[in-house]
Amino acid sequence: MNNVERFRRSSVLFPAFLLILTTIYLAEALSIRSQFGGDTLVGPRFMPILMAFIMYAALIVVTVGEWRKEAEAATGGSLLRPLLIVVATGIYIALFRPLGYVPATLGFVVALFLIFDFEKHRPAFFIFYVIAVTALFYGLFAGIFGVRLPPVLGGF
Amino acid sequence: METFVSFLGGFEALLSWEVLGFMIAGFLIGTFFGAMPGLTSVLAIALLLPITYTIDVVPALVMCASIFMAGMYSGSITATTINIPGAPSSMMTAVEGNALMLKGQGANALGHAALGSMIGGSIGALLLMAFMPIAGELALLIRTPGKFSLVLFALVVIIIVDKGAIAKGIVATTLGIMLATVGIDVLQPIPRFEFGTELLVEGIGLMPVVIGAFAVSELLVQAQNWNLSLESTLKRAKGLKIRRRDFIPPWSEIREVGLFTYIKSAFIGYAIGILPGAGGSMAAFVAYADAKRSSKKPEEYGNGSREGIAAAESANNSMCGGAFVPMLMFGIPGDPTTAIVLGVLVINGLQPGPRLIEQQADLIAPMFASLFVSALILIPLTLFLFGPYFIRIVSISRGLLYSAIAVVALVGSYVATYSIFQMFLALLFGVLAFFLRKHNYSVVAMLLGFILGPDLEQYLRRSLSFNDGNPIVFLTSMDSLAFLALTIVFAYLILRKKPKLDAIP
Repeated sequence: MNNVERFRRSSVLFPAFLLILTTIYLAEALSIRSQFGGDTLVGPRFMPILMAFIMYAALIVVTVGEWRKEAEAATGGSLLRPLLIVVATGIYIALFRPLGYVPATLGFVVALFLIFDFEKHRPAFFIFYVIAVTALFYGLFAGIFGVRLPPVLGGF
Repeated sequence: METFVSFLGGFEALLSWEVLGFMIAGFLIGTFFGAMPGLTSVLAIALLLPITYTIDVVPALVMCASIFMAGMYSGSITATTINIPGAPSSMMTAVEGNALMLKGQGANALGHAALGSMIGGSIGALLLMAFMPIAGELALLIRTPGKFSLVLFALVVIIIVDKGAIAKGIVATTLGIMLATVGIDVLQPIPRFEFGTELLVEGIGLMPVVIGAFAVSELLVQAQNWNLSLESTLKRAKGLKIRRRDFIPPWSEIREVGLFTYIKSAFIGYAIGILPGAGGSMAAFVAYADAKRSSKKPEEYGNGSREGIAAAESANNSMCGGAFVPMLMFGIPGDPTTAIVLGVLVINGLQPGPRLIEQQADLIAPMFASLFVSALILIPLTLFLFGPYFIRIVSISRGLLYSAIAVVALVGSYVATYSIFQMFLALLFGVLAFFLRKHNYSVVAMLLGFILGPDLEQYLRRSLSFNDGNPIVFLTSMDSLAFLALTIVFAYLILRKKPKLDAIP
């Protein structure tokens, strides 16, 4: 396995991603200014800077360990289904307030049933369960616990 | 003694219909989530966390306690019947219980698991009530440098408990601490890491972290590993005939296991529960290995040992009581369930510590009583009433189940603060936790780092600022020195000792 192939492994890419995140965090930490007492050892940026350096050290150890591994053991199946769930969830959250709980949740549950291959071949059951799940949690949150869920299209 | 008596008063609170209803509902939810492979009681409590905003603190805590106890017990159901532990703490029960199942004695194995859980859970709850006042007295002696060293001890144990991945444990814990630094500084009124947006000035709430780390990430993990083999296994198991009368273990078998095994395992489980990061799996494993070592019939282990089931189940349920001690005394949760219970306390304005025991025992006593009643009454009652239908209940379609979980998780993260931003954060942390889990970083370590981070920073900076920035204070303060020494002892014991592989048949 050459170095480019090693770097492309997700077990190496993930600590690399955390390394970038830590660098952004450290840069922001260095810009923190204490309100009083100057930027002493025990100021508000002390802990973030300390944590950033601990993170760097641990990430280097992890990366070296992952780099030395010969082959990556297969972990789970395709990422397509999780990706579809993330996209569906993102859309659901974005439409939750503008559309209201009922239409947004109906759409979300339809998407999830399709992703999880649930009752795809029995349309009547499919529709029944979509409505049942939406109604059940409306009843639970709004009915039993008195939560104000977003109304349809922001009105009514 | 006075405090112990006030704890006993907690049983009175359970007589209220509302509190009793939440306890029973929590137990049934915990049983379902614990028995269903892929779901855990932690997920159940995480999903119900938003609901605790809308109900009183007593029923909320009572419900959490009954979910905890039920989830620990019910993992044995699918462990025994189909050899798939519903919870990781039921691994040893799967070994012995399923061997009995294959001999046609599955109901008997379930009965022994329930009896072990009942005895262990009850002893754990009683020990919690008995030793809590003493722990409270000890907690009063700890000063700020000692508190820092205690939090450090907890974090170090959490990291090294998975000794195969210590660097990853440090990454996960540090990540949690870094997330906790977002928002207003712990000592000065200045915002940190708000990146120019008002949305982050108040920091990141526990809710999106918990929902993301345990509910959304679980959804993504299950989606990635999606196959219908588990569903078909469960459907095949639907045909199993289990009769109620077979649940009651004969007296001769109970005598053969011996009362001492139950009690010793319960004490082991309780002690392990006090340790941060150890949890039910370790409690069950250690008690099982100890029972095997001292057994008169070690050859039965691996072939359906009732003693093995009793030891493992007694220990993991007793662990529930022990896990509450560091959380209530020092605000140091030992496992994800007590971490979420800590969130419930904080949401309701309760601060863990000796004062909580002294001044607000009436609020937490019902939670202790719930642990006890769940173990002593609800475990056998649930087995008797629903035992024959357990497999049918957990055979519900996973597509429907996970879709429902997704809706509860997201709407739940909205209802806590009526904030769309919180929903996005839950999704973001879900994706982050998914990749952490995929690459074997501990999500629990991240959560505990997030919860303990503010305390660690506050105690460290306070101690240093009172001593002109001189860190020698951590060695000159006796309580601090004791915890630092304890950290070194634990690190030595955990890292040096090789696991006894022969303990697992």
